[in-house]
Amino acid sequence: MRNLLARRLRVAAGVLLGSLSAVAELAMTLASGLWLLVTLGWSADDRRGETRILAAARWWAELQRRRMARWYDTGTADLAAPLTGMPALSYVATRWTVGLLGGVVLLAAVIGAGYASLLVWGWFLVDLDRWPLAVAPAAFGGLFLLFLCVQGVQAVALMDEQLIRHFLGPSDRQTLERRIGELARSRAGVVEAVHDERRRIERDLHDGVQQRLVALGMLLGRARRAPDPEKSSELLRQAHEASQQALVELRDVAWRVYPAALDEGGLAAALETVAERAAIPVRLSCELRDTPPPTAQAVAYFVAAEAVTNAVKHSGAEQVTVRAERAGELLRLRVEDDGRGGADASGSGLLGLSRRVAALDGTLSVASPAGGPTVITAELPCA
Amino acid sequence: MRVILADDSTLLREGLARLLVDEGHEVTAAVGDAEALLEAIATDPPDIAVVDVRMPPTHTDEGLRAALEIREKWPGTGVLVLSQYVERRYATELLTTATEGVGYLLKDRVVQVDEFLDALDRVGSAGTAFDPEVVRQLLTFSSKVDPLQRLTDREREVIARMAQGHTNAAIAGQLNVSQSAVEKYVNSIFDKLELTDTTGYSRRVLAILRFLGT
Repeated sequence: MRNLLARRLRVAAGVLLGSLSAVAELAMTLASGLWLLVTLGWSADDRRGETRILAAARWWAELQRRRMARWYDTGTADLAAPLTGMPALSYVATRWTVGLLGGVVLLAAVIGAGYASLLVWGWFLVDLDRWPLAVAPAAFGGLFLLFLCVQGVQAVALMDEQLIRHFLGPSDRQTLERRIGELARSRAGVVEAVHDERRRIERDLHDGVQQRLVALGMLLGRARRAPDPEKSSELLRQAHEASQQALVELRDVAWRVYPAALDEGGLAAALETVAERAAIPVRLSCELRDTPPPTAQAVAYFVAAEAVTNAVKHSGAEQVTVRAERAGELLRLRVEDDGRGGADASGSGLLGLSRRVAALDGTLSVASPAGGPTVITAELPCA
Repeated sequence: MRVILADDSTLLREGLARLLVDEGHEVTAAVGDAEALLEAIATDPPDIAVVDVRMPPTHTDEGLRAALEIREKWPGTGVLVLSQYVERRYATELLTTATEGVGYLLKDRVVQVDEFLDALDRVGSAGTAFDPEVVRQLLTFSSKVDPLQRLTDREREVIARMAQGHTNAAIAGQLNVSQSAVEKYVNSIFDKLELTDTTGYSRRVLAILRFLGT
Protein backbone atom coordinates (compact mmCIF):
# COMPACT_ATOMS: atom_id res chain seq x y z
CA MET A 1 0.00 0.00 0.00
CA ARG A 2 2.70 2.43 1.01
CA ASN A 3 4.66 1.44 -2.10
CA LEU A 4 1.67 2.11 -4.31
CA LEU A 5 1.15 5.53 -2.75
CA ALA A 6 4.83 6.42 -3.19
CA ARG A 7 4.68 5.32 -6.83
CA ARG A 8 1.57 7.39 -7.52
CA LEU A 9 3.13 10.41 -5.88
CA ARG A 10 6.28 9.96 -7.96
CA VAL A 11 4.26 9.83 -11.16
CA ALA A 12 2.30 12.88 -10.07
CA ALA A 13 5.56 14.75 -9.47
CA GLY A 14 6.69 13.76 -12.96
CA VAL A 15 3.43 15.03 -14.47
CA LEU A 16 3.78 18.26 -12.50
CA LEU A 17 7.27 18.84 -13.89
CA GLY A 18 5.94 17.94 -17.32
CA SER A 19 3.17 20.51 -17.05
CA LEU A 20 5.68 23.17 -16.01
CA SER A 21 7.78 22.20 -19.04
CA ALA A 22 4.74 22.86 -21.22
CA VAL A 23 5.14 26.60 -20.66
CA ALA A 24 8.68 26.55 -21.99
CA GLU A 25 7.64 24.26 -24.84
CA LEU A 26 4.85 26.56 -25.91
CA ALA A 27 7.29 29.48 -25.98
CA MET A 28 9.85 27.44 -27.92
CA THR A 29 7.25 26.25 -30.39
CA LEU A 30 5.99 29.76 -31.10
CA ALA A 31 9.46 31.25 -31.40
CA SER A 32 10.89 28.58 -33.65
CA GLY A 33 7.69 28.41 -35.72
CA LEU A 34 7.84 32.15 -36.34
CA TRP A 35 11.52 31.97 -37.21
CA LEU A 36 11.00 29.12 -39.63
CA LEU A 37 8.15 31.03 -41.29
CA VAL A 38 10.22 34.17 -41.66
CA THR A 39 13.20 32.36 -43.12
CA LEU A 40 11.18 30.16 -45.43
CA GLY A 41 12.49 31.73 -48.61
CA TRP A 42 16.07 32.27 -47.51
CA SER A 43 19.08 30.54 -48.88
CA ALA A 44 20.72 27.76 -46.88
CA ASP A 45 23.60 30.00 -45.81
CA ASP A 46 21.29 32.47 -44.10
CA ARG A 47 19.35 29.73 -42.34
CA ARG A 48 22.15 28.57 -40.11
CA GLY A 49 20.05 29.45 -37.09
CA GLU A 50 17.92 26.42 -37.92
CA THR A 51 20.57 23.99 -36.73
CA ARG A 52 20.68 25.85 -33.44
CA ILE A 53 16.93 25.56 -33.05
CA LEU A 54 17.05 21.86 -33.84
CA ALA A 55 19.93 21.31 -31.43
CA ALA A 56 17.94 23.05 -28.72
CA ALA A 57 14.93 20.86 -29.51
CA ARG A 58 17.11 17.76 -29.29
CA TRP A 59 18.50 18.85 -25.95
CA TRP A 60 15.01 19.56 -24.68
CA ALA A 61 13.65 16.21 -25.85
CA GLU A 62 16.52 14.46 -24.09
CA LEU A 63 15.69 16.42 -20.92
CA GLN A 64 12.09 15.19 -21.16
CA ARG A 65 13.27 11.62 -21.68
CA ARG A 66 15.33 11.81 -18.54
CA ARG A 67 12.43 13.30 -16.61
CA MET A 68 10.26 10.34 -17.57
CA ALA A 69 12.97 7.80 -16.86
CA ARG A 70 13.43 9.42 -13.46
CA TRP A 71 9.81 9.81 -12.36
CA TYR A 72 7.70 7.32 -14.28
CA ASP A 73 7.71 3.60 -13.66
CA THR A 74 7.85 2.19 -17.14
CA GLY A 75 10.99 2.34 -19.15
CA THR A 76 11.85 5.11 -21.50
CA ALA A 77 15.40 4.19 -20.66
CA ASP A 78 15.67 2.09 -23.83
CA LEU A 79 15.08 5.14 -26.01
CA ALA A 80 18.23 6.44 -27.57
CA ALA A 81 18.91 10.15 -27.45
CA PRO A 82 17.22 11.69 -30.49
CA LEU A 83 19.64 11.68 -33.38
CA THR A 84 17.84 13.98 -35.73
CA GLY A 85 16.55 17.43 -34.95
CA MET A 86 13.31 17.57 -36.90
CA PRO A 87 11.41 14.84 -35.04
CA ALA A 88 12.64 16.42 -31.80
CA LEU A 89 11.18 19.78 -32.84
CA SER A 90 7.89 18.14 -33.84
CA TYR A 91 7.88 16.45 -30.47
CA VAL A 92 8.36 19.72 -28.60
CA ALA A 93 5.64 21.33 -30.72
CA THR A 94 3.12 18.65 -29.71
CA ARG A 95 4.24 17.87 -26.19
CA TRP A 96 3.03 21.11 -24.67
CA THR A 97 -0.54 19.89 -25.21
CA VAL A 98 0.08 16.86 -23.03
CA GLY A 99 1.91 19.04 -20.53
CA LEU A 100 -1.06 21.40 -20.41
CA LEU A 101 -3.45 18.50 -19.99
CA GLY A 102 -1.32 17.25 -17.12
CA GLY A 103 -1.51 20.68 -15.52
CA VAL A 104 -5.31 20.75 -15.87
CA VAL A 105 -5.64 17.27 -14.38
CA LEU A 106 -3.42 18.17 -11.44
CA LEU A 107 -5.39 21.36 -10.88
CA ALA A 108 -8.65 19.39 -10.93
CA ALA A 109 -7.10 16.96 -8.46
CA VAL A 110 -6.30 19.81 -6.12
CA ILE A 111 -9.88 21.15 -6.47
CA GLY A 112 -11.28 17.65 -5.85
CA ALA A 113 -9.09 17.25 -2.81
CA GLY A 114 -10.24 20.65 -1.54
CA TYR A 115 -13.92 19.70 -1.83
CA ALA A 116 -13.26 16.28 -0.35
CA SER A 117 -11.71 17.92 2.68
CA LEU A 118 -15.12 19.48 3.42
CA LEU A 119 -15.86 16.12 4.99
CA VAL A 120 -13.47 17.08 7.75
CA TRP A 121 -14.09 20.73 8.39
CA GLY A 122 -17.30 21.55 6.43
CA TRP A 123 -19.54 20.71 9.37
CA PHE A 124 -18.08 23.49 11.45
CA LEU A 125 -18.10 26.09 8.70
CA VAL A 126 -21.38 25.65 6.89
CA ASP A 127 -24.67 26.59 8.52
CA LEU A 128 -26.39 23.22 8.28
CA ASP A 129 -29.73 24.66 9.24
CA ARG A 130 -29.88 26.80 6.10
CA TRP A 131 -28.00 24.41 3.74
CA PRO A 132 -28.87 20.94 5.07
CA LEU A 133 -27.63 19.18 1.97
CA ALA A 134 -24.58 21.31 1.23
CA VAL A 135 -21.65 19.44 2.75
CA ALA A 136 -22.10 15.77 1.83
CA PRO A 137 -22.72 16.08 -1.98
CA ALA A 138 -19.90 18.60 -2.38
CA ALA A 139 -17.49 16.50 -0.35
CA PHE A 140 -18.38 13.24 -2.10
CA GLY A 141 -18.29 14.98 -5.46
CA GLY A 142 -14.81 16.20 -4.57
CA LEU A 143 -13.74 12.71 -3.58
CA PHE A 144 -15.01 11.38 -6.89
CA LEU A 145 -13.20 14.11 -8.80
CA LEU A 146 -10.02 13.31 -6.88
CA PHE A 147 -10.35 9.64 -7.78
CA LEU A 148 -10.82 10.49 -11.46
CA CYS A 149 -7.81 12.76 -11.42
CA VAL A 150 -5.58 10.18 -9.76
CA GLN A 151 -6.43 7.90 -12.68
CA GLY A 152 -6.01 10.83 -15.04
CA VAL A 153 -2.48 11.47 -13.81
CA GLN A 154 -1.59 7.89 -14.72
CA ALA A 155 -3.17 8.35 -18.13
CA VAL A 156 -1.27 11.58 -18.75
CA ALA A 157 2.00 9.87 -17.82
CA LEU A 158 1.16 7.10 -20.27
CA MET A 159 0.38 9.62 -23.01
CA ASP A 160 3.59 11.42 -22.23
CA GLU A 161 5.57 8.23 -22.83
CA GLN A 162 3.66 7.22 -25.92
CA LEU A 163 4.24 10.63 -27.42
CA ILE A 164 8.01 10.58 -26.98
CA ARG A 165 8.11 7.01 -28.24
CA HIS A 166 6.10 8.00 -31.28
CA PHE A 167 8.43 10.81 -32.26
CA LEU A 168 11.77 9.58 -31.05
CA GLY A 169 11.42 5.85 -30.43
CA PRO A 170 12.68 3.29 -32.89
CA SER A 171 10.42 2.95 -35.89
CA ASP A 172 9.16 -0.50 -36.87
CA ARG A 173 11.85 -0.52 -39.46
CA GLN A 174 14.58 0.25 -36.94
CA THR A 175 13.24 -2.42 -34.62
CA LEU A 176 13.33 -4.90 -37.48
CA GLU A 177 16.80 -3.85 -38.46
CA ARG A 178 17.99 -4.27 -34.90
CA ARG A 179 16.46 -7.74 -34.78
CA ILE A 180 18.01 -8.66 -38.12
CA GLY A 181 21.38 -7.55 -36.80
CA GLU A 182 20.93 -9.74 -33.74
CA LEU A 183 19.94 -12.70 -35.88
CA ALA A 184 22.87 -12.24 -38.23
CA ARG A 185 25.24 -12.12 -35.29
CA SER A 186 23.79 -15.18 -33.62
CA ARG A 187 23.77 -17.06 -36.90
CA ALA A 188 27.43 -16.33 -37.46
CA GLY A 189 28.00 -17.41 -33.88
CA VAL A 190 26.25 -20.71 -34.44
CA VAL A 191 28.26 -21.41 -37.56
CA GLU A 192 31.42 -20.65 -35.60
CA ALA A 193 30.30 -22.87 -32.74
CA VAL A 194 29.58 -25.73 -35.12
CA HIS A 195 33.03 -25.34 -36.65
CA ASP A 196 34.62 -25.37 -33.22
CA GLU A 197 32.76 -28.53 -32.34
CA ARG A 198 33.79 -30.25 -35.50
CA ARG A 199 37.38 -29.38 -34.77
CA ARG A 200 36.97 -30.74 -31.29
CA ILE A 201 35.45 -33.97 -32.56
CA GLU A 202 38.28 -34.40 -35.05
CA ARG A 203 40.81 -33.84 -32.29
CA ASP A 204 38.96 -36.23 -30.01
CA LEU A 205 39.08 -38.94 -32.64
CA HIS A 206 42.75 -38.44 -33.36
CA ASP A 207 44.11 -37.81 -29.92
CA GLY A 208 41.97 -40.47 -28.31
CA VAL A 209 40.68 -43.27 -30.46
CA GLN A 210 43.35 -43.25 -33.15
CA GLN A 211 46.25 -43.17 -30.68
CA ARG A 212 44.81 -46.16 -28.90
CA LEU A 213 44.34 -48.07 -32.13
CA VAL A 214 47.87 -47.28 -33.24
CA ALA A 215 49.21 -48.40 -29.88
CA LEU A 216 47.16 -51.58 -30.24
CA GLY A 217 48.54 -52.17 -33.72
CA MET A 218 52.07 -51.68 -32.43
CA LEU A 219 51.52 -54.21 -29.67
CA LEU A 220 50.27 -56.74 -32.19
CA GLY A 221 53.18 -55.97 -34.50
CA ARG A 222 55.61 -56.50 -31.65
CA ALA A 223 53.85 -59.72 -30.66
CA ARG A 224 54.33 -61.04 -34.16
CA ARG A 225 58.00 -60.14 -34.15
CA ALA A 226 58.68 -61.38 -30.64
CA PRO A 227 61.35 -64.09 -30.64
CA ASP A 228 59.92 -66.27 -27.84
CA PRO A 229 56.31 -67.41 -27.36
CA GLU A 230 56.20 -66.24 -23.76
CA LYS A 231 56.92 -62.63 -24.66
CA SER A 232 54.57 -62.90 -27.61
CA SER A 233 51.66 -64.08 -25.49
CA GLU A 234 52.30 -61.32 -22.93
CA LEU A 235 52.18 -58.75 -25.72
CA LEU A 236 48.96 -60.30 -27.02
CA ARG A 237 47.44 -60.02 -23.56
CA GLN A 238 48.37 -56.33 -23.49
CA ALA A 239 46.94 -55.89 -26.97
CA HIS A 240 43.68 -57.44 -25.89
CA GLU A 241 43.46 -54.97 -23.03
CA ALA A 242 44.36 -52.11 -25.31
CA SER A 243 41.55 -53.04 -27.70
CA GLN A 244 39.04 -52.80 -24.85
CA GLN A 245 40.39 -49.41 -23.85
CA ALA A 246 40.07 -48.27 -27.46
CA LEU A 247 36.42 -49.29 -27.39
CA VAL A 248 35.79 -47.37 -24.18
CA GLU A 249 37.47 -44.34 -25.71
CA LEU A 250 35.33 -44.62 -28.83
CA ARG A 251 32.17 -44.78 -26.76
CA ASP A 252 33.27 -41.70 -24.83
CA VAL A 253 33.94 -39.73 -27.97
CA ALA A 254 30.59 -40.71 -29.47
CA TRP A 255 28.93 -39.64 -26.25
CA ARG A 256 30.62 -36.27 -26.29
CA VAL A 257 29.42 -35.75 -29.84
CA TYR A 258 25.82 -36.45 -28.88
CA PRO A 259 24.50 -38.12 -25.75
CA ALA A 260 22.00 -40.75 -26.86
CA ALA A 261 20.22 -40.51 -23.50
CA LEU A 262 18.90 -37.07 -24.48
CA ASP A 263 16.59 -38.63 -27.03
CA GLU A 264 15.68 -41.61 -24.93
CA GLY A 265 15.25 -40.23 -21.43
CA GLY A 266 15.27 -36.47 -21.92
CA LEU A 267 17.29 -33.84 -20.11
CA ALA A 268 17.05 -35.43 -16.67
CA ALA A 269 18.51 -38.72 -17.86
CA ALA A 270 21.29 -36.98 -19.78
CA LEU A 271 22.19 -34.82 -16.78
CA GLU A 272 22.38 -37.94 -14.63
CA THR A 273 25.05 -39.32 -16.92
CA VAL A 274 26.95 -36.04 -16.58
CA ALA A 275 26.84 -36.52 -12.84
CA GLU A 276 27.92 -40.15 -13.11
CA ARG A 277 30.87 -39.34 -15.33
CA ALA A 278 32.18 -36.45 -13.29
CA ALA A 279 35.22 -37.05 -11.13
CA ILE A 280 33.75 -35.06 -8.21
CA PRO A 281 30.30 -35.32 -6.60
CA VAL A 282 27.54 -33.60 -8.57
CA ARG A 283 24.26 -32.74 -6.84
CA LEU A 284 21.47 -32.80 -9.35
CA SER A 285 17.95 -31.41 -9.20
CA CYS A 286 15.72 -31.48 -12.23
CA GLU A 287 12.24 -29.99 -11.82
CA LEU A 288 10.60 -29.78 -15.20
CA ARG A 289 6.82 -29.61 -15.23
CA ASP A 290 6.69 -30.59 -18.87
CA THR A 291 9.09 -31.59 -21.60
CA PRO A 292 10.98 -28.61 -23.02
CA PRO A 293 11.65 -28.54 -26.77
CA PRO A 294 14.47 -30.91 -27.83
CA THR A 295 16.75 -28.08 -28.96
CA ALA A 296 16.48 -26.33 -25.60
CA GLN A 297 17.13 -29.62 -23.80
CA ALA A 298 20.19 -30.33 -25.94
CA VAL A 299 21.69 -26.88 -25.37
CA ALA A 300 20.95 -27.09 -21.64
CA TYR A 301 22.70 -30.46 -21.55
CA PHE A 302 25.79 -29.15 -23.34
CA VAL A 303 25.96 -26.15 -21.04
CA ALA A 304 25.80 -28.46 -18.02
CA ALA A 305 28.36 -30.89 -19.44
CA GLU A 306 30.82 -28.14 -20.31
CA ALA A 307 30.35 -26.31 -17.00
CA VAL A 308 30.84 -29.49 -14.97
CA THR A 309 33.90 -30.44 -17.03
CA ASN A 310 35.38 -26.98 -16.47
CA ALA A 311 34.66 -27.15 -12.76
CA VAL A 312 36.39 -30.53 -12.47
CA LYS A 313 39.36 -29.45 -14.61
CA HIS A 314 40.07 -25.90 -13.53
CA SER A 315 38.25 -24.81 -10.40
CA GLY A 316 39.52 -27.29 -7.83
CA ALA A 317 35.93 -27.62 -6.64
CA GLU A 318 34.87 -30.36 -4.26
CA GLN A 319 31.26 -30.33 -5.32
CA VAL A 320 29.10 -29.11 -8.17
CA THR A 321 25.38 -28.38 -8.05
CA VAL A 322 23.31 -28.60 -11.21
CA ARG A 323 19.73 -27.31 -11.20
CA ALA A 324 17.35 -27.47 -14.12
CA GLU A 325 13.92 -25.87 -13.70
CA ARG A 326 11.11 -24.24 -15.58
CA ALA A 327 10.70 -20.53 -14.88
CA GLY A 328 7.61 -19.43 -16.77
CA GLU A 329 8.42 -19.69 -20.45
CA LEU A 330 12.08 -20.31 -19.70
CA LEU A 331 14.14 -23.39 -19.08
CA ARG A 332 16.69 -22.28 -16.51
CA LEU A 333 19.85 -24.25 -15.94
CA ARG A 334 22.17 -23.29 -13.12
CA VAL A 335 25.55 -24.85 -12.44
CA GLU A 336 27.39 -23.82 -9.30
CA ASP A 337 30.69 -25.06 -7.96
CA ASP A 338 32.56 -24.34 -4.75
CA GLY A 339 35.89 -23.87 -6.48
CA ARG A 340 38.32 -20.99 -6.66
CA GLY A 341 36.47 -18.99 -9.32
CA GLY A 342 38.15 -16.83 -11.93
CA ALA A 343 36.56 -18.65 -14.87
CA ASP A 344 37.15 -16.92 -18.19
CA ALA A 345 33.84 -16.26 -19.93
CA SER A 346 35.65 -15.53 -23.19
CA GLY A 347 37.42 -18.90 -23.16
CA SER A 348 36.68 -21.11 -26.12
CA GLY A 349 34.39 -23.51 -24.29
CA LEU A 350 32.19 -20.90 -22.65
CA LEU A 351 32.19 -18.76 -25.78
CA GLY A 352 30.91 -21.66 -27.86
CA LEU A 353 28.19 -22.26 -25.29
CA SER A 354 27.07 -18.65 -25.22
CA ARG A 355 26.80 -18.75 -29.01
CA ARG A 356 24.63 -21.82 -28.88
CA VAL A 357 22.47 -20.24 -26.22
CA ALA A 358 22.20 -17.00 -28.20
CA ALA A 359 21.03 -18.99 -31.20
CA LEU A 360 17.93 -19.95 -29.21
CA ASP A 361 17.44 -16.33 -28.08
CA GLY A 362 18.50 -17.35 -24.60
CA THR A 363 21.01 -15.80 -22.26
CA LEU A 364 24.11 -17.24 -20.63
CA SER A 365 25.63 -15.53 -17.64
CA VAL A 366 28.90 -16.43 -15.98
CA ALA A 367 29.64 -15.15 -12.49
CA SER A 368 33.03 -16.23 -11.26
CA PRO A 369 34.72 -13.88 -8.81
CA ALA A 370 38.22 -14.75 -7.68
CA GLY A 371 37.85 -17.08 -4.73
CA GLY A 372 34.64 -18.50 -6.14
CA PRO A 373 31.98 -19.65 -6.27
CA THR A 374 31.45 -19.93 -10.00
CA VAL A 375 27.81 -19.78 -11.10
CA ILE A 376 26.86 -20.39 -14.72
CA THR A 377 23.23 -19.74 -15.60
CA ALA A 378 21.59 -20.42 -18.92
CA GLU A 379 18.03 -19.29 -19.62
CA LEU A 380 16.45 -20.80 -22.71
CA PRO A 381 13.05 -19.81 -24.09
CA CYS A 382 10.70 -22.75 -24.53
CA ALA A 383 7.91 -21.03 -26.43
CA MET B 1 70.62 -46.21 -33.33
CA ARG B 2 70.01 -43.47 -30.79
CA VAL B 3 66.48 -42.13 -31.12
CA ILE B 4 64.48 -39.23 -29.65
CA LEU B 5 60.69 -39.49 -29.70
CA ALA B 6 58.37 -36.46 -29.75
CA ASP B 7 54.64 -37.06 -29.54
CA ASP B 8 52.06 -35.49 -27.25
CA SER B 9 50.28 -38.78 -26.71
CA THR B 10 51.92 -40.54 -23.77
CA LEU B 11 50.40 -43.81 -24.89
CA LEU B 12 52.05 -43.69 -28.28
CA ARG B 13 55.39 -42.47 -26.90
CA GLU B 14 55.54 -45.39 -24.52
CA GLY B 15 54.50 -47.87 -27.18
CA LEU B 16 57.08 -46.60 -29.65
CA ALA B 17 59.83 -46.55 -27.04
CA ARG B 18 59.15 -50.17 -26.10
CA LEU B 19 59.05 -51.21 -29.72
CA LEU B 20 62.38 -49.54 -30.45
CA VAL B 21 64.02 -50.95 -27.34
CA ASP B 22 62.76 -54.41 -28.36
CA GLU B 23 64.55 -53.91 -31.66
CA GLY B 24 67.81 -52.92 -30.01
CA HIS B 25 67.66 -49.16 -30.51
CA GLU B 26 68.39 -46.71 -27.73
CA VAL B 27 65.72 -44.14 -26.86
CA THR B 28 67.61 -41.17 -25.43
CA ALA B 29 64.54 -39.06 -24.70
CA ALA B 30 60.75 -39.08 -25.16
CA VAL B 31 59.08 -35.68 -25.04
CA GLY B 32 55.61 -34.24 -25.54
CA ASP B 33 56.15 -30.93 -27.32
CA ALA B 34 58.42 -29.20 -29.83
CA GLU B 35 60.18 -27.00 -27.29
CA ALA B 36 61.26 -29.93 -25.15
CA LEU B 37 62.30 -31.77 -28.32
CA LEU B 38 64.68 -29.01 -29.42
CA GLU B 39 66.12 -28.77 -25.91
CA ALA B 40 66.70 -32.51 -25.73
CA ILE B 41 68.42 -32.51 -29.12
CA ALA B 42 70.60 -29.56 -28.18
CA THR B 43 71.88 -31.33 -25.08
CA ASP B 44 72.44 -34.70 -26.76
CA PRO B 45 71.96 -34.96 -30.52
CA PRO B 46 70.69 -38.44 -31.49
CA ASP B 47 70.93 -40.22 -34.83
CA ILE B 48 67.27 -39.68 -35.55
CA ALA B 49 64.24 -37.85 -34.15
CA VAL B 50 60.76 -39.28 -34.66
CA VAL B 51 58.41 -36.29 -34.56
CA ASP B 52 54.64 -36.00 -34.53
CA VAL B 53 53.41 -33.09 -36.68
CA ARG B 54 50.64 -31.98 -34.33
CA MET B 55 51.86 -31.06 -30.88
CA PRO B 56 50.88 -28.53 -28.23
CA PRO B 57 50.20 -25.67 -27.90
CA THR B 58 48.27 -25.14 -31.16
CA HIS B 59 48.17 -28.73 -32.47
CA THR B 60 48.77 -27.62 -36.04
CA ASP B 61 52.29 -28.06 -37.41
CA GLU B 62 54.65 -27.46 -34.47
CA GLY B 63 56.31 -30.80 -35.09
CA LEU B 64 57.04 -29.97 -38.69
CA ARG B 65 58.55 -26.59 -37.77
CA ALA B 66 60.76 -28.32 -35.23
CA ALA B 67 61.76 -30.95 -37.80
CA LEU B 68 62.84 -28.28 -40.28
CA GLU B 69 64.84 -26.52 -37.58
CA ILE B 70 66.53 -29.76 -36.60
CA ARG B 71 67.54 -30.44 -40.18
CA GLU B 72 69.10 -27.00 -40.40
CA LYS B 73 70.92 -26.92 -37.05
CA TRP B 74 71.90 -30.55 -36.51
CA PRO B 75 72.80 -32.07 -39.88
CA GLY B 76 73.83 -35.30 -38.18
CA THR B 77 70.32 -35.96 -36.88
CA GLY B 78 67.77 -37.45 -39.25
CA VAL B 79 64.09 -36.51 -38.90
CA LEU B 80 61.20 -38.88 -39.39
CA VAL B 81 57.92 -36.94 -39.31
CA LEU B 82 54.68 -38.72 -38.44
CA SER B 83 51.45 -37.16 -39.62
CA GLN B 84 47.75 -37.86 -39.14
CA TYR B 85 47.00 -37.09 -42.76
CA VAL B 86 48.90 -36.88 -45.96
CA GLU B 87 49.72 -33.22 -46.34
CA ARG B 88 51.49 -32.57 -49.60
CA ARG B 89 52.59 -29.20 -48.28
CA TYR B 90 54.47 -30.85 -45.43
CA ALA B 91 56.18 -33.33 -47.68
CA THR B 92 57.19 -30.57 -50.01
CA GLU B 93 58.49 -28.34 -47.23
CA LEU B 94 60.55 -31.16 -45.79
CA LEU B 95 62.03 -31.91 -49.16
CA THR B 96 62.88 -28.34 -50.01
CA THR B 97 64.65 -27.91 -46.67
CA ALA B 98 66.57 -31.14 -46.48
CA THR B 99 68.20 -33.24 -49.12
CA GLU B 100 68.72 -36.32 -47.00
CA GLY B 101 67.93 -37.78 -43.63
CA VAL B 102 64.25 -36.90 -43.86
CA GLY B 103 61.18 -39.08 -43.79
CA TYR B 104 57.45 -38.46 -43.82
CA LEU B 105 55.14 -41.26 -42.76
CA LEU B 106 51.48 -41.55 -41.97
CA LYS B 107 51.13 -42.11 -38.28
CA ASP B 108 49.20 -45.31 -38.85
CA ARG B 109 52.22 -46.71 -40.66
CA VAL B 110 53.76 -47.37 -37.26
CA VAL B 111 51.40 -50.31 -37.04
CA GLN B 112 53.25 -51.93 -39.95
CA VAL B 113 56.19 -52.50 -37.67
CA ASP B 114 58.51 -53.88 -40.37
CA GLU B 115 57.93 -50.97 -42.71
CA PHE B 116 58.29 -48.46 -39.91
CA LEU B 117 61.59 -49.91 -38.72
CA ASP B 118 62.84 -50.02 -42.27
CA ALA B 119 61.96 -46.36 -42.79
CA LEU B 120 63.66 -45.50 -39.49
CA ASP B 121 66.85 -47.21 -40.62
CA ARG B 122 66.83 -45.41 -43.96
CA VAL B 123 66.31 -41.96 -42.48
CA GLY B 124 68.86 -42.65 -39.71
CA SER B 125 71.50 -43.48 -42.29
CA ALA B 126 70.99 -40.28 -44.29
CA GLY B 127 68.48 -41.77 -46.68
CA THR B 128 64.82 -40.83 -47.22
CA ALA B 129 61.55 -42.53 -46.46
CA PHE B 130 58.25 -41.38 -47.81
CA ASP B 131 54.95 -43.01 -47.06
CA PRO B 132 53.49 -45.01 -49.95
CA GLU B 133 50.31 -43.00 -49.47
CA VAL B 134 52.19 -39.72 -49.80
CA VAL B 135 53.87 -40.93 -52.94
CA ARG B 136 50.60 -42.21 -54.35
CA GLN B 137 49.01 -38.83 -53.86
CA LEU B 138 51.95 -37.01 -55.33
CA LEU B 139 51.80 -39.24 -58.34
CA THR B 140 48.05 -38.95 -58.65
CA PHE B 141 47.63 -35.23 -58.13
CA SER B 142 50.81 -34.11 -59.76
CA SER B 143 50.32 -31.00 -61.81
CA LYS B 144 52.75 -32.37 -64.37
CA VAL B 145 50.82 -35.41 -65.40
CA ASP B 146 51.94 -35.57 -68.99
CA PRO B 147 55.38 -37.12 -68.59
CA LEU B 148 53.93 -39.61 -66.11
CA GLN B 149 51.43 -40.75 -68.68
CA ARG B 150 54.33 -41.99 -70.75
CA LEU B 151 55.50 -44.46 -68.10
CA THR B 152 54.65 -48.13 -68.39
CA ASP B 153 52.91 -49.84 -65.46
CA ARG B 154 56.16 -51.50 -64.48
CA GLU B 155 57.99 -48.18 -64.52
CA ARG B 156 55.27 -46.68 -62.40
CA GLU B 157 55.74 -49.39 -59.79
CA VAL B 158 59.44 -48.73 -59.78
CA ILE B 159 59.17 -44.93 -59.49
CA ALA B 160 56.66 -45.23 -56.68
CA ARG B 161 59.04 -47.44 -54.70
CA MET B 162 61.96 -45.23 -55.51
CA ALA B 163 60.06 -42.24 -54.29
CA GLN B 164 59.41 -43.99 -51.02
CA GLY B 165 63.15 -44.20 -50.61
CA HIS B 166 63.89 -47.83 -51.45
CA THR B 167 67.21 -48.77 -53.01
CA ASN B 168 67.40 -50.44 -56.39
CA ALA B 169 68.34 -53.68 -54.69
CA ALA B 170 65.30 -53.52 -52.44
CA ILE B 171 63.02 -52.75 -55.36
CA ALA B 172 64.44 -55.67 -57.28
CA GLY B 173 63.61 -57.90 -54.32
CA GLN B 174 60.09 -56.52 -54.03
CA LEU B 175 59.29 -56.94 -57.70
CA ASN B 176 61.10 -60.24 -58.09
CA VAL B 177 63.35 -58.99 -60.86
CA SER B 178 67.11 -58.63 -61.12
CA GLN B 179 68.85 -55.50 -59.97
CA SER B 180 70.12 -54.74 -63.45
CA ALA B 181 66.53 -54.86 -64.72
CA VAL B 182 65.57 -52.29 -62.11
CA GLU B 183 68.47 -50.10 -63.18
CA LYS B 184 67.20 -50.31 -66.73
CA TYR B 185 63.73 -49.21 -65.62
CA VAL B 186 65.22 -46.36 -63.63
CA ASN B 187 67.22 -45.08 -66.57
CA SER B 188 64.21 -45.30 -68.83
CA ILE B 189 62.13 -43.39 -66.25
CA PHE B 190 64.72 -40.65 -66.10
CA ASP B 191 64.74 -40.42 -69.86
CA LYS B 192 60.98 -40.12 -70.00
CA LEU B 193 60.81 -37.59 -67.17
CA GLU B 194 63.65 -35.63 -68.73
CA LEU B 195 65.70 -35.77 -65.56
CA THR B 196 69.46 -35.78 -65.67
CA ASP B 197 70.84 -38.81 -63.94
CA THR B 198 72.53 -37.38 -60.87
CA THR B 199 74.66 -39.48 -58.59
CA GLY B 200 73.53 -40.24 -55.08
CA TYR B 201 70.39 -42.14 -54.46
CA SER B 202 68.49 -39.75 -52.20
CA ARG B 203 69.06 -36.88 -54.57
CA ARG B 204 67.36 -38.80 -57.28
CA VAL B 205 64.37 -39.41 -55.08
CA LEU B 206 64.41 -35.80 -54.13
CA ALA B 207 64.53 -34.75 -57.75
CA ILE B 208 61.59 -36.96 -58.57
CA LEU B 209 59.53 -35.84 -55.64
CA ARG B 210 60.28 -32.22 -56.27
CA PHE B 211 59.45 -32.69 -59.86
CA LEU B 212 56.13 -34.29 -58.98
CA GLY B 213 55.19 -32.45 -55.86
CA THR B 214 55.93 -28.82 -56.54
